[in-house]
Amino acid sequence: MTQIYETMVLLDNDVVRADWKKAKAIVTDTVAKYDGKVHTCRRWDERRLSYPMKRKNRATYYLTYHEMPGDTISGFLRDLELNERVLRYMMLKVEECPEEERKLAAEEEGSDYEVPAPPEDDAIELPEEGEGDATMDDVPTDVPAEAAATAVEPAKEG
Amino acid sequence: MKRRIRTVIGSKNCDDPVIDYKETEYLEKFLTPQGQILSRRRTGFCTQCQKQLKTAIKRARHVGLLPFVG
Repeated sequence: MTQIYETMVLLDNDVVRADWKKAKAIVTDTVAKYDGKVHTCRRWDERRLSYPMKRKNRATYYLTYHEMPGDTISGFLRDLELNERVLRYMMLKVEECPEEERKLAAEEEGSDYEVPAPPEDDAIELPEEGEGDATMDDVPTDVPAEAAATAVEPAKEG
Repeated sequence: MKRRIRTVIGSKNCDDPVIDYKETEYLEKFLTPQGQILSRRRTGFCTQCQKQLKTAIKRARHVGLLPFVG
């Protein structure tokens, strides 16, 4: 038995800006892989996240309404979970696809659709992993070698 | 003497559509500055509407539309 679902997927902005069609395909292909049928899919918004997810401060919200057999749901969710480009997802049961969503999705389907430019505060991102860690290169060169060695030496227990 | 809280924010009929987690501007009205959900006494909602509100806020938090704290 199939059921209609509303799935909100948070996509990595790097993929969205590199290639919008490729970003859309992350969701639509996964739905198709598990015998699902996409009713509507559209870019809902691009927002600053209330808290960082996978070291990202912004994400593109992709909203899709689709139907899918119940026995394939677990595989579908697992694929989304394993995809590194998907920051987070939420899948809800709905009774029907809203008419307004169909209109908005139809507008986006046009070939002249372009992803809006990112806002000015978009550049603020968290540092990459390991960027803030101290290394031997950070030790000043004018410090004597013995002092430099003790500066990075871990504290002994006891 | 028990202090009365007169500030009631809610204005929702039970016949209205279910509160949607995507309406973040509406949901933000029912959060304290620390991000906690206001009580039914403050929102003025009935039990069912307060439950809808709670579900919508928790869904919005999950997808990063609303903060868990602050």
